[in-house]
Amino acid sequence: MNWPQFWQYTAANALLGILPAVVGLAISVPIGIACVRWRWLYGPVLSATSVVYAIPSLALFVVLIAYTGLSNLTVIIPLTLFSLCVLVPNVVDGLRSVPEPVRQAATAMGFGTLRRLVQVELPLAVPIVIAGLRIAVVSSISLASVSGLIGVASLGYFFIDGLQRNFNEEIYAAIVAVIGLALACDLILVLARRMLTPWSRKPGGRATVNAEGAQLLQEPAI
Amino acid sequence: MITFDSVTKRYPDGTVAVDALDLEVPPGKTMVLVGPSGCGKTTSLRMINRLIEPSEGKIFLDGRDIQEANPSTLRRGIGYVIQQTGLFPHRTIEDNIATVPLLDGWGKAKARARATELMELVGLDLGMARRYPHQLSGGQQQRVGVARALAADPPVLLMDEPFSAVDPIVRAALQDELIRLQGELHKTIVMVTHDVEEAIKVGDIVAVFRPGGHLAQVDTPEHLLGAPADDYVEGFIGFDRGIRRLSFFSAVGLDLEFDAVLGEDATVDEARAFSQRGGHPWVLVLDAERRPRGWVSAAELAPLPGTGRLGQAPLASVGHTFRPAQDSLRVALDATVLSRTERAVAVDENGHVIGVTSYERLRDAIRAAEEAADDALAQGAAT
Repeated sequence: MNWPQFWQYTAANALLGILPAVVGLAISVPIGIACVRWRWLYGPVLSATSVVYAIPSLALFVVLIAYTGLSNLTVIIPLTLFSLCVLVPNVVDGLRSVPEPVRQAATAMGFGTLRRLVQVELPLAVPIVIAGLRIAVVSSISLASVSGLIGVASLGYFFIDGLQRNFNEEIYAAIVAVIGLALACDLILVLARRMLTPWSRKPGGRATVNAEGAQLLQEPAI
Repeated sequence: MITFDSVTKRYPDGTVAVDALDLEVPPGKTMVLVGPSGCGKTTSLRMINRLIEPSEGKIFLDGRDIQEANPSTLRRGIGYVIQQTGLFPHRTIEDNIATVPLLDGWGKAKARARATELMELVGLDLGMARRYPHQLSGGQQQRVGVARALAADPPVLLMDEPFSAVDPIVRAALQDELIRLQGELHKTIVMVTHDVEEAIKVGDIVAVFRPGGHLAQVDTPEHLLGAPADDYVEGFIGFDRGIRRLSFFSAVGLDLEFDAVLGEDATVDEARAFSQRGGHPWVLVLDAERRPRGWVSAAELAPLPGTGRLGQAPLASVGHTFRPAQDSLRVALDATVLSRTERAVAVDENGHVIGVTSYERLRDAIRAAEEAADDALAQGAAT
């Protein structure tokens, strides 16, 4: 087994998984904001992302080869489009999860629309957006391996190579690597969410904070 | 000063929430808008900081049309407190309170120092500064809401059912706190509530709304209880307005008796003589400091030797006392009703007994106070 090649392809697979989710997030935030601002937009956008998601990834790869050749872009563009199907609804749900009294209080305190969005609504949307990002990253990492079929460097190469050469260990190693990548990215995102949202209530989670909160509630309020 | 000049709010579906409202909120006063749900009180409040725009008419803040102001600038000069607090879940308590100063471009350090000041002002433990809103109780959150509204020292404060979501004991404490704060700060406050008790307790002026966005009566709480404009207002205020009105009459004018009051060293014979002379079976026994020790009845005295000291006799509890200098006739009446002797004990600020009430004296005092108030009303109406 060619380990240097294996690690190189693992790194390539990680890049092909993470980059689409990141680019997808960058695209989903403005689209999501627009869908919350203009409600009529959300239906058509949702249909469009679902239709795109229904296209088999291999078909999109093949179509794109004509334009972008056998480069990473041929993989990144379809996976980015697929991630929108998860990320746009999560950005919309995240923004809609901001309680109306909070939004109203922000307006009444004198926040302008943009400032309210940046300082209040987007930070409060973070937990739900990251939940979507976790799904997007994991599914992109997994889908990226399909690109092995068109000859783009990824862990998918070892599935095909292993099959052709009847070399099962190679297939198992690649499967473990895909799962390991997905778990690692997921863990990083969970940690990122904890760091970004120290304020969020975690029922049953961090016991110390909950115990403290419960104790506070029992104190006389006056 | 906030002035509504013939303000109407009509929604696209034709619903009229507020109908040609004329209203003036004097500077430094607390005006409470009260009425059943759907009467337009909250809509009226939200038109002041332009969360809702009127369909017709104008609103002036200190003589300036609020339509001509930039909404964000206008709002930073108007504190806003709501029932659900609307605190920012992702910001610490101190940063929540510092919201408007930060928006106004104060430095972070200065804004936080101001937040600390306000936490002290509204009675929040400074240890909470770095906590997040969900770690606080409802009452504490509401205090943070008030502190946040006051942070940039706006002259006007709008409060939309601020205390409706907390339990009655906390609510009463928050109301007292608001009254105390207003005594120090003299803001122009407009508060919305559906609780007429709260309106009467907190308001300098109460505006009673009728369904359909009309004003039924705008008056001081005392006048509202004494002279409701019509059956609607009377019904809305509730059935025991006569008793509640007594809250506004001082007990200073109440005549007190001192003829059935004896020291603990007095003899049983003296007490018998007192109670026979006064025709009342109870005698109040004081300690050496002239503080009330308890009541003793003629029946309890009967078996005792005439030369015994009252201090040794079995005494019934004094119950609630009242202080005529600061309490109302309602407190005096309440103390009397609760007392099994049909008398309540009046004390001065040191707890020394200054006399005893009776129903007869209370009745006279109430009648005199009501007549004086009615005269004042009639004169007010005449001028």
